[in-house]
Amino acid sequence: MTLRDPSAYGTQVIKPDDFDTFWGELLECAEKIPLNASFSLDTMRSTEQVEVFEVHYDSLNDVRVAGWYCLPRIRPRPLPGRVFYPGYISEPTLPKDYAEQGYACFGAAPRGKLRSNLQFNPGYPGLLTHNLVDRQSYAYQGFYVDAIRVIDFLTEQPEVDSERIGIQGSSQGGALTLVAAALRPQVKAASAGAPYLTGVVDAIDLTRTYPYEEINDYLRLHPQNREAMIKTWNYYDCINFADRIQCPIIVYIGLQDDVCPPETAYPLMDRIRSPEKKLYAYDGHGHDANHHVHDEVVDTFFDDHLKT
Amino acid sequence: MKPEDFDSYWQRLEQELIRVEQAPECTEIHLRSTPEGKLFGLHLTSLGGYRIFVYYCVPHGKGPFPVIYRLPNYGSVVHIPPFEERCNHIAVALCHRGQRLSDQPFAASYPGLLTQGIESPHTYIYREIAADCLRVMDFLLTREEVDQGRISLVGGDLALWTAAMRSQAFALYYAPSLFYKSLHKASSSSHYPLEEFNDFLRAFPESKGQVETTLKYFEPINFASSVAMSTMMVEESEGDGDDLAMAFGREIDRCTTYHSSFRDGVRQAQWLADKLETGEPLLPEHWS
Repeated sequence: MTLRDPSAYGTQVIKPDDFDTFWGELLECAEKIPLNASFSLDTMRSTEQVEVFEVHYDSLNDVRVAGWYCLPRIRPRPLPGRVFYPGYISEPTLPKDYAEQGYACFGAAPRGKLRSNLQFNPGYPGLLTHNLVDRQSYAYQGFYVDAIRVIDFLTEQPEVDSERIGIQGSSQGGALTLVAAALRPQVKAASAGAPYLTGVVDAIDLTRTYPYEEINDYLRLHPQNREAMIKTWNYYDCINFADRIQCPIIVYIGLQDDVCPPETAYPLMDRIRSPEKKLYAYDGHGHDANHHVHDEVVDTFFDDHLKT
Repeated sequence: MKPEDFDSYWQRLEQELIRVEQAPECTEIHLRSTPEGKLFGLHLTSLGGYRIFVYYCVPHGKGPFPVIYRLPNYGSVVHIPPFEERCNHIAVALCHRGQRLSDQPFAASYPGLLTQGIESPHTYIYREIAADCLRVMDFLLTREEVDQGRISLVGGDLALWTAAMRSQAFALYYAPSLFYKSLHKASSSSHYPLEEFNDFLRAFPESKGQVETTLKYFEPINFASSVAMSTMMVEESEGDGDDLAMAFGREIDRCTTYHSSFRDGVRQAQWLADKLETGEPLLPEHWS
């Protein structure tokens, strides 16, 4: 169906010399902040099979972040963990059905999402361009750290087997999956759909669809800030995290995706170091990335890597 | 089954709404305007004096323009209307009460909104949300830049309700959503948002009868016969909406989703262009 060859586009991202130092210092700073996790059983959302907890934990800049933690009531031995990262406009899911299948599941709500927006709330639209010209205070700095601290949270839980944690998401959830897989090597397996925040500088030229259009809106009003925007994004682009991903990973895209252009997924795959990586490119699909069919591939992938 | 007082229930809402002045306040959001058109943040007053926010996009050039009014999905965030639609339509996207930008003083919970006040049709939050949807139509009907003969509605059950109660719209592109056979569908699902119904009934089993009664006032089957405009209904699977299609009491266009945002998006754009007579639709580059 598709006539263009998105793999030939040649998306390029510059990796700053101090990229690793920048993130190393940030992670060091984050590690000094205890999680101070709190749990509140949500009896209304819990079922006979699954307990649902609303969880809060501390993150960068002392922002208190929320999430949904779902556990099977019967858990004779440590459980494999599964993290679900949300899309840009989505609220975190309550993955009760996967808890029923024997996973300890976490639906993440990084800062700015409902329940995590008391101290930080740039809004939607807004998040993508919040402090865009400054890598030290850019919105996604804390957002990324919130996402990776979910792994730390699961690792601390006695009911979770910290050697068997899988992470997943689509769109922004795909981006957070990539970042967390890169910065938390204990992640056992990862699945990223239609990855957002990847090849961003090219993506904004390739699409007029929101959320990327937020950056185009911003640059129309502040054209003088284009270089500063690119400089910031070089520290946040998922392609620059990819060479740190070592775990088995699957990525799936739609070749007619107008939200996260498929062109940007190919250099991402090239940079991923994992010996076990696979790209599923679906012709005839847009930002859905054929999840209707592909979800089964994802489930099998995690069952194979986390349950055996 | 349709409640006996179904019509009077909604007439009462109309009577209350008509007493509320729209008090429109339209402010250009320069950050979001483009060379192709202006984007306004529109505030209107809806039922109970609640101020709602609407993205209101008007292309440059000589109107009046056809309208694509997108009714919101279930979730806290509403996207700005697509760039391609904004180029040659008045593109409208409502943030109903509780959604971001319309979340003062009421911020909806997700999960939670779907069962808020569900014990009675008079307290159910979707009564007020329906009023928000109608309020935007009322605004459109006052505007000179709007081609009054070419207003289209796009969305789920909220779009159907609006079509049923605002016959001035010309076309409806409709995908049945959460209110179509709600409890029946919820009983075989553990996925949110339908799972919210299950959560509620597990917590308050004694309310089942009340919940069933409330939802009858919002069941699409009970609205369909009031929709007279050109209609396309997108079904989850073939035959999935047979009883709903029958309820329209006339032939409507029907199709089954491709489960592809690309192919479904192209079909929607082409159907709307055909009905609104706007020629070949402008599509995102990756869809062309």
